[in-house]
Amino acid sequence: MNKYLGNKPALALFLLPALLLYSVILIYPVLQTVLRSFYDWDGLSTATFTGLANYRELFSDPLLSTSLKNGLLFAIVLAVFQIGLGTILALVCANPQIRGRKLLKTAYFIPVVLSVTVVCQLWIAMYDPTNGLVNKLFELLHIPYRQNWLSSPTQSIIAIAFVNAWQFMGYQFSLLYAGVKAVPEDYFEAATIDGCGKWRAHFHVTLPLMRETFKFCFTIAITSGIGAFVQMLIMTNGGPGTTNYTLTFMIYRYAFMESNYGYACAVSVLLVMISLVATLVINKVFDRGQNA
Amino acid sequence: MIIQHKRLSALMITLSMTLLLSACGGNTASDNTPAADTAAEGGTVKIKVYAQHFDDDTKGPFDYAVEELKKEMPEVEIELDPAVQDGYQKLKTYAATGNMPDIYFTDWATLQTFAKSKNVELLDDYETTAEYKKNLNPGVESRLVAPDGHVYAYPDTGIEFQLIYYNKTIFDKVGIATPIKTIDELAAAAVKLNAAGYVPMSIFAKEKWISAAFYNGLVTREESQGFGALGEQGMTELPQPFVTAAEQLEQLQQAKLFDANATNTNYDQASSQFYQGKSAMFVNGQWEIYSAAEKLGDQVDWMYWPAKDEATYEASKYYIDGAGAPQGYAVSPASANKETAVKVAAFLAAKSAEYKYTQLGSPIISPKTDKPIASDVPVMMQRVANELLPNAKEYAKLLSNTQIQNAINDNAQNMLVDGFTTDKFTENLNRTLEKENK
Repeated sequence: MNKYLGNKPALALFLLPALLLYSVILIYPVLQTVLRSFYDWDGLSTATFTGLANYRELFSDPLLSTSLKNGLLFAIVLAVFQIGLGTILALVCANPQIRGRKLLKTAYFIPVVLSVTVVCQLWIAMYDPTNGLVNKLFELLHIPYRQNWLSSPTQSIIAIAFVNAWQFMGYQFSLLYAGVKAVPEDYFEAATIDGCGKWRAHFHVTLPLMRETFKFCFTIAITSGIGAFVQMLIMTNGGPGTTNYTLTFMIYRYAFMESNYGYACAVSVLLVMISLVATLVINKVFDRGQNA
Repeated sequence: MIIQHKRLSALMITLSMTLLLSACGGNTASDNTPAADTAAEGGTVKIKVYAQHFDDDTKGPFDYAVEELKKEMPEVEIELDPAVQDGYQKLKTYAATGNMPDIYFTDWATLQTFAKSKNVELLDDYETTAEYKKNLNPGVESRLVAPDGHVYAYPDTGIEFQLIYYNKTIFDKVGIATPIKTIDELAAAAVKLNAAGYVPMSIFAKEKWISAAFYNGLVTREESQGFGALGEQGMTELPQPFVTAAEQLEQLQQAKLFDANATNTNYDQASSQFYQGKSAMFVNGQWEIYSAAEKLGDQVDWMYWPAKDEATYEASKYYIDGAGAPQGYAVSPASANKETAVKVAAFLAAKSAEYKYTQLGSPIISPKTDKPIASDVPVMMQRVANELLPNAKEYAKLLSNTQIQNAINDNAQNMLVDGFTTDKFTENLNRTLEKENK
């Protein structure tokens, strides 16, 4: 086996198809996007090189601050809801004394397999200011908190982020549940024998050992938040006005509504850069804890 | 071994560079050299047409035009490529990949992009264009001749515009006198209708263009050019009529003219609200007349846009809230049968218009037709034909600047939300005007 693995030209030859495929599908479009971000280009005509003009314009675009703020809020809601609640549910479902665990696990995952469009339509109806379930619920509980959820310039982004968080919590839950199950039970038992309560044992033993799982879950939650798009498009079409814009919505607007592909490419590059930085920061934070 | 390794590396580098360099290649769509017209003697000429063909309103005119074409040009065989409602993205993809159909139906925004990338044939010098121009209905020239003076497409419809529809039964029941002439009267009507449990006006403002169109209706009371006035170089501040209209929109929003969920209401929801008698008014283009008449019969009618006072209303009620943007059947310069395609495009547009006039009773068509109206025309359309069109003083002007138009769309939609003020509206628009018109 070592003889074959040591044959570098042969290895390279076998890797070549995969490398080519990877280049064509991933590297080539990314390079194209970066390249086009330096051009004034409508997607059809000959592009004109404009250097950093698109980037200069981007950093003075009022939509950018709205989009960054919304991306951040979206990411925070996803991280808190999906990972926070997902972790609690994973710990509960991992407890063999809990009855109906299988049913619970299935139930948490059901929204993940539903179509985003269906889920959005469902929540549009639930958020309806006049007849929606959410406002009716407040009314039923005699809480004076009726809201115009999807038309509010301040609340709608949270309301939309919650829909995404709700739908994909099951996905994060399944990862976290696998993470909990991967922790050897001996450690947990040793902690409880030493006098730890169950939740304390989880806090001091299970959760620290799930570092890698959390790293992955946070990366997914944060990058999904920064790049959120579909829910905004279906639920409010980015409105009212541009209050629910994210970077991806900006790309959609400039590329497809204004035929300004060069500028849209610049926004795309910024989106990729922010996602990369977020991933690096998450890795750094979790690695630092590990090395301490 | 080392030599082999180097060869392999060189091969991989070459492949990567090929990919990278091909990325820098120019667009090929515009490089297509049109072939000569291949109308073979005695043979058929195949013309591919990308056109809307998805419901009765779009199938009827197109199928009629194709049937008529068989009589006029039997050698031409039409291959239909049904258009999808995707903001012309599919068409742009055809252009980007050099697969343009011979003839395609599109709007002004797309025509502008295609003109730059040479994906649309300039029709200025064709004899067919001269004939088409001669046969236009008066006042619709802006539908054929673009603001840059060129002809890019043959239009079938005339200048379409927006109307306010109202339910006469609900108005009578609640005690609202018609016609509503002023903004104050409209605001007072909204209060009465709300008190009676009705949504005063349905608007599908999830689509931003309709809230902008409503706002444009208010603007045209004092600035007949409408949004077109904002395209002038040097105009860096929102003119007073636009500020007044924004104040009026704010006043109407505060009087709860629109549903609380207006910015998240789509066409189906808004129209069904109106047709089910839950709302008293509805705003849409004149094309809604057929549906409105079919669903509400003589309970429904349309009204002119209200103004700040009665005198202004009387002076401006024939300023039309609709601008004549060029659109219609265009021809690809890459067509192998370009000469024939130009004639076919003009023919399809003219016959499509003929169908709309004779079968649907729509007077909103570009080319004249001498054939009689064959179908029952809704009373509301008769009013348009007999009262509105002959008296129309001016149509709003086209605003070609997409950035300014988008800023208006965003901010007009924002005006339907509580807490968004005229000051904020003006500030946002001024920022865009400063950037675009300076």
